Amino acid sequence: MKIVRMGELAVSTTPEDELMTIGLGSCIGVAVVDRARSVAALAHVMLPEAAAIPDAPAGKFADLAIPALVAESERMGARRVRLEAVLVGGAQMFDVGVGSTLDIGARNAQAVREALAKARIPVRAQETGGRRGRTMRVHVGAMTVTVKEAGGREVELWSGSPGPRRSAEAIHR
Amino acid sequence: MSTDYTDMQLDAMRELANIGSGNAATALASMLGREVELSVPRALALPLADAVDAVGPADRTVSSVVLPIFGDIDALVLLLFPTEDAATLCGLLGVEAGTEVGDSAIGEIGNILGTSYINALASMAGLAIEPKPPHVVTDMLGAIVASLLSQTVGETDSALVLDTGLDVADAACSLSFLLLPTTGGIEEILGRLGVGGA
Repeated sequence: MKIVRMGELAVSTTPEDELMTIGLGSCIGVAVVDRARSVAALAHVMLPEAAAIPDAPAGKFADLAIPALVAESERMGARRVRLEAVLVGGAQMFDVGVGSTLDIGARNAQAVREALAKARIPVRAQETGGRRGRTMRVHVGAMTVTVKEAGGREVELWSGSPGPRRSAEAIHR
Repeated sequence: MSTDYTDMQLDAMRELANIGSGNAATALASMLGREVELSVPRALALPLADAVDAVGPADRTVSSVVLPIFGDIDALVLLLFPTEDAATLCGLLGVEAGTEVGDSAIGEIGNILGTSYINALASMAGLAIEPKPPHVVTDMLGAIVASLLSQTVGETDSALVLDTGLDVADAACSLSFLLLPTTGGIEEILGRLGVGGA
């Protein structure tokens, strides 16, 4: 199991592997997979965009994280045209905030969707918004993505294998 | 803007947390009519992901109260109660945990303690600051801390977290107090304490 912490990014082709982010609040977990090659990558995005920051961590900003996910997946043998994405997170846990930083969650979700659209990667399933924190797991071998809220049950959000494509769509708020 | 702090600067921040939470402990003690003990405060200057981990296990469910601070500095005061301890505290106050009344009691405790904390901080550092109303959320610790850090640190890759624990005597009830200043807020505080400039 690989834990992907805030601002980090990981990729795996090991069937026994799980990529996991614990406690996504306003952050977004973005999984990019190539099912045919069993490549899965996961980034833990914290903010919408990097304003010309040198040496920014690969996973931290939506606008840098998506190209980094594509590059890492390709490096592990994925084909760009086969990449598919699943998004989890972007909650607004607090009504309060400092300065004009309200609802970073929604802005993160928007920025991630735009970056994926720009990279021509289809979003197969997403669970974003709402008010609750979430834990996301990408099971590399099974090519499934599961989501769990605090005190809740682990639920399968997407299954990319085997058989025909299924997709789930659950957008709160 | 530098995010590396000298030992003297971290000591000054620790002392600030000590005085703030000392004041909050006194308020809690008089509210409950029990003794309240204070842990040694920590001033953690860490990369973001490490800062989230340092607060506690990311998947632990906790009750939290957040008070945004505005004025000369912007910051968030965060009180964290392990869920069982929040229930104990509600019991001591004669209200039922997990209900609307219980949540509002936790919010009010957070408000009183948070306000005592920042009053001490304001007078020590000579800052004009005020709290906004508290907000109560029960959720995963990691999600709470990460969401708040995204608001305070912005593009900076490290965070300064001031962390103190309060223990209520004979009640197996503890809570922790975190101050999450914005990066600009930290510079301002250090300047006011006479240890500014990295």
